[in-house]
Amino acid sequence: MKYSALYLLVGMTLVSAGGNMDAYMSTLEKEARLADPGFNGFEYSRGEKIYFSKHRGKRGKIVSCSSCHTENLSASGKHLFTGKVIKPLSPFANPQRFSKVKKVKKWLRRNFKDVYKREGTAQEKGDVLTFMMRRK
Amino acid sequence: MQRVRMWTSIMFMGLGVSLVLADGGYGTNKAMASGAEGRQKSSIVTQLYQNECASCHMAYQPEFLPKRSWRKIMKGLENHFGADATMDPKDQATLSKYLQENASDAKRTSHAATKLTRSIPKHSVLMRITEIPKFKREHREIPKRLIKQEKVRLLSNCVACHQRAEKGLYGERDIFIPNYGRWED
Ligand code: HEC
Ligand code: HEC
Ligand code: HEC
Repeated sequence: MKYSALYLLVGMTLVSAGGNMDAYMSTLEKEARLADPGFNGFEYSRGEKIYFSKHRGKRGKIVSCSSCHTENLSASGKHLFTGKVIKPLSPFANPQRFSKVKKVKKWLRRNFKDVYKREGTAQEKGDVLTFMMRRK
Repeated sequence: MQRVRMWTSIMFMGLGVSLVLADGGYGTNKAMASGAEGRQKSSIVTQLYQNECASCHMAYQPEFLPKRSWRKIMKGLENHFGADATMDPKDQATLSKYLQENASDAKRTSHAATKLTRSIPKHSVLMRITEIPKFKREHREIPKRLIKQEKVRLLSNCVACHQRAEKGLYGERDIFIPNYGRWED
């Protein structure tokens, strides 16, 4: 009895930790639909392109998301401008990823500016999150 | 009654689990490494410092720059060496206070920090530790190729050579330069 209660709780907490992110994803979905009535859900393949495509970034260098997070999302990355090691971005390799909406929002804002010199749209954020959260 | 007590304890247990899960894990190891006593006193602020100021580079020890430098750095976070380091205004106020209270001219500092910060001219407001005159002299003899290499890149990447820099340890014993080895002079 005691144990089953514990399992129930761990289960519930896990769901609620993910639930935060789910709520954020549905907010993004609503915003995307508002901006484009033809919007048909987020897509992994569009997100993959956002992640890998190269642009002249804020500092005048050609960069992509993979410049700091590497092409293999399960491997450790390296900050392009400081050399600091960055832990893997994939939640399969690093379970702490995508567990805090506040953190995710903050870095999407910063990193879109680093690469695209502007903030991402709701659809772009949803697409790239879909890609990052599923890619191993 | 029995029931109520059981559910209450379950709720607390759940809260504990959620707290563990909610923590991003950044800096947790360091907080643990510094021992129980350090953990109690400074964990909340140092954890915040870890979260906000150690994601792009290591958390530089506040004692390596004077108050006036930290004041200027904290006022320019929108364009922080070309990066966006902005944060919640409340967190920013907390960290500004932390940096002021632990700056090189606010308290007794470690041997390593004093050695460098003594050389800072009185009226200059340096934005970098790596621009401190004595820092430059200490690192002058390191060949450029050892700094430029992939594993180091910049002198501001202290941990690349000072293996225990994150703990504030800069002694010769802990220096190991990639593709070179121990530094003995
Ligand atoms: C200049 C380096 C750099 C680039 C380029 C970059 N990132 Fe990041 N990113 C970071 C750093 C540093 C962190 C925070 C450190 C950490 O969490 O390990 C981070 C964190 C994140 C996080 C937070 C994940 C979490 O929950 O912990 C997301 C999401 C993210 N980046 C997405 C992106 C996307 C999408 C792009 C491309 C548009 C991108 N990044 C490009 C450096 C970069
Ligand atoms: C978004 C990434 C990012 C964040 C967050 C960040 N920094 Fe930086 N910081 C940089 C970059 C990039 C440099 C320049 C690296 C270089 O060129 O040497 C830098 C350099 C520095 C330097 C000078 C290092 C030297 O050369 O001696 C200090 C001091 C510093 N940061 C303090 C802070 C503090 C304090 C915070 C938190 C309020 C912070 N940083 C947060 C990116 C960041
Ligand atoms: C490329 C490797 C490298 C990097 C990066 C580096 N250092 Fe050093 N540092 C050295 C070497 C080598 C010495 C010893 C110089 C000597 O004794 O001739 C040294 C000496 C020092 C000393 C003097 C230690 C003592 O007590 O004599 C301090 C303090 C120090 N470094 C701090 C820093 C800080 C802070 C950073 C980052 C902002 C940094 N170093 C980055 C290699 C490095």
